[in-house]
Amino acid sequence: MKFLANLLDKARPTFQKGGSLSALKPLFDAIDAFMFNPLTQSKLAPHARDPLDVKRYMSMVIIALIPCTMASFYFFGWRMLPMIMVSYMAGGAVEVAFAVIRKEEINEGFLVTGLLFPLILPPGLPLWMVAVGVMFGVLVGKEIFGGTGRNLFNPALVGRCFLLLSYGGEMGGAWIEPGGGWFGRLGQYAETSVDAVSQATPLYDAAAEIPKFAPLSDLFYGNVLGCAGETSALALILGGVLLLIFGVASWRTVIPLLVGFGVMTVVLVGGDMQLVVWHYLAGGLLLGAFFMATDPVSSPMTNGGKFVYGALIGIATALIRLKTPLFEGMMFAILTGNMFAPIIDEVFIAMHVRGLRNEK
Amino acid sequence: MKPRGGYNVNLIGGPSGVVEKLSPPEKLCIPLHSRHLKFSELRVADGDSVSSGQTLAVDPEAFSVPLLAPCGGTAGLSRLDGHIVIENLNCPPDPAPDPELPTHVPYDSGQAAEKRRKLLELGAWQFVSNARTHQVADPDGTPSAVIVSTVHLEPFVARGSAICTGSINELVRGLEHLQSLLEYQAIHLVLPNVKLELAQDIQKTIRGHAWLKLSEVPLQMRYPFDNQTLLARHLGLFTEGDETVWFIPAAGVIAFDRALTLNRPCTSRIISLAGPVVKDPLHLEVPVGYPIDKIIAGRLTQDDNVRVVNGGILTGTQITEDQAGIDTECSGLTVLETPTVREMFGWLRLGCDRRSFSKCFTSTLKKAFGENLSTSLRGERRPCVACGQCVTVCPAGIMPNAIHKYLFSDELEQAQRLRTDLCAECGLCSYICPSKIDLYDELVRAKVRIAEELGPPAEEPEEQAAQENQEEDVA
Repeated sequence: MKFLANLLDKARPTFQKGGSLSALKPLFDAIDAFMFNPLTQSKLAPHARDPLDVKRYMSMVIIALIPCTMASFYFFGWRMLPMIMVSYMAGGAVEVAFAVIRKEEINEGFLVTGLLFPLILPPGLPLWMVAVGVMFGVLVGKEIFGGTGRNLFNPALVGRCFLLLSYGGEMGGAWIEPGGGWFGRLGQYAETSVDAVSQATPLYDAAAEIPKFAPLSDLFYGNVLGCAGETSALALILGGVLLLIFGVASWRTVIPLLVGFGVMTVVLVGGDMQLVVWHYLAGGLLLGAFFMATDPVSSPMTNGGKFVYGALIGIATALIRLKTPLFEGMMFAILTGNMFAPIIDEVFIAMHVRGLRNEK
Repeated sequence: MKPRGGYNVNLIGGPSGVVEKLSPPEKLCIPLHSRHLKFSELRVADGDSVSSGQTLAVDPEAFSVPLLAPCGGTAGLSRLDGHIVIENLNCPPDPAPDPELPTHVPYDSGQAAEKRRKLLELGAWQFVSNARTHQVADPDGTPSAVIVSTVHLEPFVARGSAICTGSINELVRGLEHLQSLLEYQAIHLVLPNVKLELAQDIQKTIRGHAWLKLSEVPLQMRYPFDNQTLLARHLGLFTEGDETVWFIPAAGVIAFDRALTLNRPCTSRIISLAGPVVKDPLHLEVPVGYPIDKIIAGRLTQDDNVRVVNGGILTGTQITEDQAGIDTECSGLTVLETPTVREMFGWLRLGCDRRSFSKCFTSTLKKAFGENLSTSLRGERRPCVACGQCVTVCPAGIMPNAIHKYLFSDELEQAQRLRTDLCAECGLCSYICPSKIDLYDELVRAKVRIAEELGPPAEEPEEQAAQENQEEDVA
C-alpha cells in the first residue's frame, strides 16, 4: 500500500500548477482521493466533523443496487459487464471533461448514474447506444445545469428518454430472453445480433387488445423480458429496503409513490387486487420508486414536498400506463415530477416559513 | 414550543469531575478581546504597578464591563500584541471559607441599583447575557424573565456539575442575590436530570425559601438544548419579539455570591481541559490570563500536530499565536489531533468505529460510543446534494440547505424570509453535512448581514391588513 501512496506522491507535482499535466488535475485528485482519504482539515468551527461524506453517501446507493445488478447478470448474462463499463467510461469522460474545463472537482454523483443507466436499458442494446445515451444524459441532464447538486432532472432518465425518442425501434427490439435454471445466463454472452428479440414485454402484452398477463411469480423473481435491472422485483425490494434503512432514499417519497400508484390503479382497473399487485411488480415501477424518484437532488428538499412529489409520480405512472398508448409510464412520470419539484418546494417552503411566524 | 432536532456528538476525552487549582504562573498574559468583549479602553499605563482586582481596561460598547487584574504586579502593554502582560506577580491566596457564613441571605430589594453597579465593578456582570443576542445584558435594564443554567452540553466546555459541585451554598446564595435584583420576574433554573445528586442537592438547599421565585426546568440532555436562545424559546419567553431575557450560567451565579457576599472580584475561571489527545482530561481553576502553553504543557499525549480550541469542538475558536492566555470568557480548552496519516479506501470501510448521524455505517447497529475525532474534514467539499440532514438536526426548525441555496445566489431577502434570524448558532448543521459545507459560518455571517443591510423584517400581517383597508376604502 505504501508503494501506491509513494507512486501518487511522485506523480503529484506533474498535475499541480505548473506541471506538464496540470490540466488533468481534477482527474488526478479524484483518483488520489478515491484511494486515500485526503488530509483536508476543518478551517472553521465545528472543528471535528461527521464521518459521512458524499462519496460514502453515493456508495450506499451502489450497495443497494448490488442485488438487482446481480439479477441482471443472472438473467441476461455477461453482456451486462461491457454495458456497465461503457456507461462508466463514456459518462465519466463527459464528467472529467467538464471538471477540467470548470477547474472543479469530479463529483461522486456520477458513480450512481453510471451504474443506474445500463440497468434501465434493454439488455441487448448496442454498446454505442449505451455510450451515446449516457453522454447525452450526463451532458444535458446534469453538466449544463452546473453539475451534481444543481441538476433539475435525473441524468440517467434524461439519457434513457433521449434514446427512447431517438432510437425507439432499437429500444423496443433489444430484449433478451431471460435465462433460467441454476446459472441462468451466467455462462453466456448474449450477442445483440443473435439473441436480441423484439417480443413483447409483460406490460406491452397487458396493454394489447387481448391482454395477456405474465405469471406473478415470474415478475417477482424477474424471469421476464424487460430492462436489465428492472425485471426482478425481489432484488429491487431487497435493495430498496436497504436504501431506506440507510436513510439515503427518503420513505417520504417512496411510500406516497407506491400508495398513490396503488390507489390510482385500483380506480382505473377496478377491485381486482391480483391485477393491482401484478402492476406493482411489472415494469420499472419499483426501480423508479426506490432509486430514481428518491434522487435527493432532483426531488423536493422539503419533507412535505416529498410526499406530494411521490404521490404525483405514483398517480402519473398509473395514468400513463393505463390510459395512454405508452405502456410504461415510470420514466415520464419521474421526469414530470422533477419538473414540478421546484414549484412544490416553493409552496412547502412558504408553508414552513408560515409555521415559524410565531417564533421570535 | 417543543424541543426539536439536536444531536449528541460523542467523542472520547470528556473531562472528569476533578477540579484542579493551578499554582500561580510566572506571568499572566491577559487577552484584550474575547468572543463578545473588546476591552479597548485601557485604564493602566505601561509599567504601572497594579493590585489584585484593579480594573485594567473596560469595554465601552458593553456597558463598561471591566477587565480585572487577577493578581498584583507590573503591567506591560507592549510585550505582547493584544494582551496586557502582568509580571512580578503577587497573588494573594483566597482566604479559607468562613464557616460562620450564613447559608441564605435575607431578601432585600432595596439597593438593587447599587448591587448591580457592584456586580459590574467586581467582574460578575459579564456572565449576564441577553438570551437573544448573546451579548452582555444592560445592567440598568429590566428583564422579563431570567434563565439560570447548570448544564453545559457542548463537548467539551466546563461541565455544569463540575462548577456547581462543592459550591451549592454559593449557588443558592447567588440565586437569592439575583432574586433581590429583580422585581416580580421568575428565575428559571435549568437542571440536568432531576434524579441526579447535584439536582437533588440544589433542591434540598433551596427548599423552604418561599421568596425565591424559582421554576425548575429539567432539561432533555441533548445538544444544543442548553443554548440560551433555544431555552428562552422552549420556555415560551419570546412571544412579543422584543422581550429581554437574561441568561446566566451557574458560574455567573456563583460569581454573584462572591461579589455580593464576600466583596471579592471574580477573576478566576473554571475551565475544562479535554479532548482525545489530553492524557487526563479534567477541570482547572485558573486566573484569567494564565498562559495557555503552560496549561497544556505535559498534559498531552503528543506535542505536535494538535489543534487547541478555545471552547467546545462545535462552536469554539481555534487558538492561534495571537492568543497567549486564557481570555475572560473561556469555558474550556479542547485539544484535537490534526491528522497526518492518510487512510486507504477509508470511505469503503464498514465503519464500526465511526459514529455518524446518518445510518450509513455499521456503527448504527452499536450503542452510542465515544469516537476519536480529529480535525479532519473527513471528506471533500462538494455542492449541496439536498440530503436534508441539516433540516432534521436543526434545533431552531429552519432549513439550512434552502438558506444555503439562496445565499449561494446572494439572495439575502430570501434568506431573511426563511428566518435565518432564528439560527441558534449551535454548529450541528456544519457538523453533519456530508458535502462539508460550512453552513454554521454562512448562517452566522448571513445573520449579521441581514441585521445590517436589511434591518428588521417587514410586518407582513399588518401590511396585508393595511392593503385590505385601502381596498375597502376604494370600494
